[in-house]
Amino acid sequence: MLDVRGLRKVYESSGRHVEALRDLTFSVEPGELVCLVGPSGCGKTTLLKCLAGLLDPTAGEVLVEGRPVTGPPDGMAVVFQEYGRSLFPWMTVAQNVDLPLRHKRLTRARRAQLVGDALAAVGLAASPSAYPWQLSGGMQQRVAIARAVAYEPQVMLMDEPFAAVDAQTRADLEDLIRSIWERTGVTTLFVTHDIDEAVYLGQRVIVLSSSPTVVQEDLQIDLPRQRDQLETRSLSRFTELRTHVYAEIRTAQRRTSTPAAAG
Amino acid sequence: MSAPAAVPGAAVPRTGGGRTGPPAAVPRSVVLGLTGLAGFAAVQEVAPRLLHLPADVLPPLSSILAALATEVRTAAFWSAVEATLLQWALGLGLAVVAGVGAGVVIGSNRVLRRMTASTIEFLRPIPSVALIPLAVLQFGTELRSALLLIVYASFWQVLVQTLYGVADVDPIAEQTARSYGLGRWARVRYVLWPTAQPYVATGVRLAASVALILAITAELIIGSPGLGQEINSAQSGGATALAYGLIMVTGIFGLVINVGVRAVERRMLRWHVSVRGETV
Repeated sequence: MLDVRGLRKVYESSGRHVEALRDLTFSVEPGELVCLVGPSGCGKTTLLKCLAGLLDPTAGEVLVEGRPVTGPPDGMAVVFQEYGRSLFPWMTVAQNVDLPLRHKRLTRARRAQLVGDALAAVGLAASPSAYPWQLSGGMQQRVAIARAVAYEPQVMLMDEPFAAVDAQTRADLEDLIRSIWERTGVTTLFVTHDIDEAVYLGQRVIVLSSSPTVVQEDLQIDLPRQRDQLETRSLSRFTELRTHVYAEIRTAQRRTSTPAAAG
Repeated sequence: MSAPAAVPGAAVPRTGGGRTGPPAAVPRSVVLGLTGLAGFAAVQEVAPRLLHLPADVLPPLSSILAALATEVRTAAFWSAVEATLLQWALGLGLAVVAGVGAGVVIGSNRVLRRMTASTIEFLRPIPSVALIPLAVLQFGTELRSALLLIVYASFWQVLVQTLYGVADVDPIAEQTARSYGLGRWARVRYVLWPTAQPYVATGVRLAASVALILAITAELIIGSPGLGQEINSAQSGGATALAYGLIMVTGIFGLVINVGVRAVERRMLRWHVSVRGETV
């Protein structure tokens, strides 16, 4: 579904040469929920923008359903971390969700149905005519998720979507993502810096190294399919997995910081 | 798995905030404003009498109003008003269409923006009145002469504000629109234009005042028909009180235009931080 092959991104600006991504290769199968976790500043957002066709890679390629990505691919929805800037304040909640559907050649009734269903799915069925800025942060991110769901994407990319909400809201939103994924089976790539979140949400966790980034480890999460905030997190297997991922990230950080300290 | 259906408070958007002034009482600012205005009117009435100013220098307010009251019953007055407003509206309309159009095109193209920046900075400060001889040479005292001045002066106000507005498009908003496959035109319509609207509104408000100034200037100096020309002929005919009265009328126009544009602005920009009046 989603193939990343030898992806490299170097930022060049007035003599400065920053290698954000060195060599990334991984793939996501149809219907998978994969979490990408890595230390902060490891180029997660750069990677996501390359996947979304918003940024051209320096080398390597991204394939969606076998087709190389040269611009934003059809059937891909992106949920950004900055929900306040990603939603349009001049549009109501329903208009925000509807906007991407306008160029999809759907009937008006079908669009209204998609918008209604998506808002119901995120628990905002009662607020279609509110403006995003009248809602709390968590509710705004729900609107952004509803917009992605209504778009009926084949692939959903999420860029640290819950980094700016409080812990309780975050737990609710994590379960929301799981339930949407369970119901729609949409291929989901969820980028986060939070190890617990990655292990709790994912079927698979891809651990990235520090910048310049490579894939540090590709780990199957063998937790029961039904996840529960209290039960799953108290399983000893959950603790083992998160400890393992944490150790990997620590190793990754040491590996890059040592030569820097020596040089 | 917890169902996402029960979101506490989802049904109740946090509106509230906003205007919570005392309901019945007249706001203090209005009272103070009216007091100031009354004071000014009183000075205007009393000072000429106390200082024994001759009526052709500064007549008392009562004789200004009396002259005006006679004038508003004449057809000439109303056709002058019509001519001035027509020039103003035509000039402003042309300037807004041209300014917004050029602003959106230039603003959304980086090469074009850099190429034109210095030219705009050079042309913008040229006072429109400096173009009067040129306008007269080209178009005589026709309407087009006045329009040239009005459009030239107002165009830059709209253009520069539109350029600021276009530059203010949030990169995340733009990326969101692109990632959902919105084409160039859809992004202009749904992202760029709403972002630029508050700036365009400011530009239009500034341009509306400037256009009125230039309309009156053109009538005074070129002699195109309108209130400016009426002021000129009242003055040269020795009807000082009437000249003052007509000047007052132009002031009232300026005020009404400003209030009107602001009202439209508030309606159009209900969603904008400056209008919705609450913290996020």
